[in-house]
Amino acid sequence: MIRRPFLTLLAAVAFTIMLGPVVILLGVAFTAGSTLTFPPEGLSLRWFGAALAYQPFLDSFRTSVVVALTSTLFALALGIPAAVALHRGSLPGRRVLENLFLSPVIVPELVLGLALFQQIMVGLHSTATAALVLGHTVLLLPYAVRVAGASLALADPRLEEAARGLGAGPVRTFFSVTLPVMRPGILSAAILAFVTSLNNVPLSLLLTGPGVATLPVEMLNYVQSSFDPVVAAVSVLLLAGSVAVALVTERLVGFTKVFGR
Amino acid sequence: MANTAETAAAPGTPVVRLDGVSREYGKASGAFAAVSDLSLDVPRGSFTTLLGPSGCGKTTTLRMIAGFVRPTSGRILLEGADATSTPPEKRNIGMVFQSYALFPHMTLRDNVAFGLRTRRIAKPEVLRRAGEALELVGLSHLADRRPAQLSGGQQQRVALARAVAVRPSVLLLDEPLSNLDARLRVQMRQELLRVQRETGLTAVLVTHDQDEALELSDHLVIMNGGRLEQQGAPREVFPAPANRFVAEFLGYQNFLTVPGHGPVTVRPEHTRLLADGEAAGGDGVLLDAQVRGVTYQGSHCLVEVAAASGDGEATLHCLHPGDDVRPGARVRIALPHRHLVALAGGAGTEDR
Repeated sequence: MIRRPFLTLLAAVAFTIMLGPVVILLGVAFTAGSTLTFPPEGLSLRWFGAALAYQPFLDSFRTSVVVALTSTLFALALGIPAAVALHRGSLPGRRVLENLFLSPVIVPELVLGLALFQQIMVGLHSTATAALVLGHTVLLLPYAVRVAGASLALADPRLEEAARGLGAGPVRTFFSVTLPVMRPGILSAAILAFVTSLNNVPLSLLLTGPGVATLPVEMLNYVQSSFDPVVAAVSVLLLAGSVAVALVTERLVGFTKVFGR
Repeated sequence: MANTAETAAAPGTPVVRLDGVSREYGKASGAFAAVSDLSLDVPRGSFTTLLGPSGCGKTTTLRMIAGFVRPTSGRILLEGADATSTPPEKRNIGMVFQSYALFPHMTLRDNVAFGLRTRRIAKPEVLRRAGEALELVGLSHLADRRPAQLSGGQQQRVALARAVAVRPSVLLLDEPLSNLDARLRVQMRQELLRVQRETGLTAVLVTHDQDEALELSDHLVIMNGGRLEQQGAPREVFPAPANRFVAEFLGYQNFLTVPGHGPVTVRPEHTRLLADGEAAGGDGVLLDAQVRGVTYQGSHCLVEVAAASGDGEATLHCLHPGDDVRPGARVRIALPHRHLVALAGGAGTEDR
């Protein structure tokens, strides 16, 4: 039956390592007991109730969503023109610019966070939310440029010329041809950016201020002081949200398109 | 719209005139000229073909006519007016690309209507003319499909419909048939010709396929190294290539130097292979030769010989009606004067 026993075993081990903790977390979240132990002591939804009743989680969730939405929008607003310029313009040093847009991915987020912390929060006395939005925009920009640009890189560069030849000026060409051609890429970039922002810890950790925290940071704070399954319940909710987003993405554009390049 | 009487130039004016046009790339020190000092007229109503090997500047020339590439010097006149720095959207052109370049997010109808919508034409008129154009290429029944649902040949017909729908002053065809398979390519030639005839449009085609060029064009422009080598009607150019490059590109294989003629070329069917003692008959050049190889082709044989020509030995290909020669045989080759095509420039006798 199994023709490649070694590979099969390897795959099984990999899946266990990847999914094992998730399964344990699921178990812990539904426990009826009051400690983070596995296997769960009976089944209940009490920790979900507790999580939804805990005000700091609700506040930080709202902050997270606001920050994720705003920074995604900003990243796209900056990233789409950048992607067009990179793929369609005759910019000198295209390669260098392309790598520059990738640099936030290469620079450790803590370093980026610290730099932003010093420059923006301390230097400009900005609010924590503004700093978070700015920091996350920087974080998400490479995704916007790369993923939105991928659909452009795959499209025929003659499309714009065809539009120009048919009498459309540069602006009309951009809105009636370039942007629609980029649509699947933009959608993918938006979803990917949103999820990335929502789950980010290192950058947010440095940019949160008094009374303002994102959900992952608030969760981190929580586990430092308490040891009950509330965090597990929140994690399961976050996981469910991410899976839902992934499924929607799959339905709309297909994962291969999003992560194919 | 630029198709009304006020902009239409006099009937004799060429639709496109290139006046000493050059296009150089790179810095002044190491500049590479894709097109050098090209002057060319595209006659009204003609099917003009720019023919040449890749890198000869034919595509750059077409892209300069379209306005996608700006000449580094010289002038481009469209309908008699200087259009050198006019952006493509204001040139009233219709362009068909090798890659079709159909808008993937639009139906065929919207693709074809695109150019009409940019021209502020009333909506019913847009739909009517888009429908007409699709009808012209026989794809009305697929008007609501997207390009991805079509075969390559169908896509290229839509691209053609999209280009002619705007009634351009010139139809620019950038190797439109190169992405199609061999059989379809030959079919599409006639389709292309039919559409051009029915619409009465002036067309400029870029191709590297000499058969396509000979079949389609009434004005043939042969280019090499960014320069014009020869132009004229195919019936004038083909029997009388001006130089060795043109001759080779049109499929001539025999190059030799004949005393009193200089460098010449001659087609295999115009040579005569004489057996020992056979009289030449008529006037012509007689060369001693030795048979190198014989290829049997049914109704005739293709005989390759090494002939003693004016400046050494030349390899000639001769069409011979019989099957009575064998490799190694000593023969004489008769070349009638009237079939010798004199070539300008240094047409050597070296083998290719």
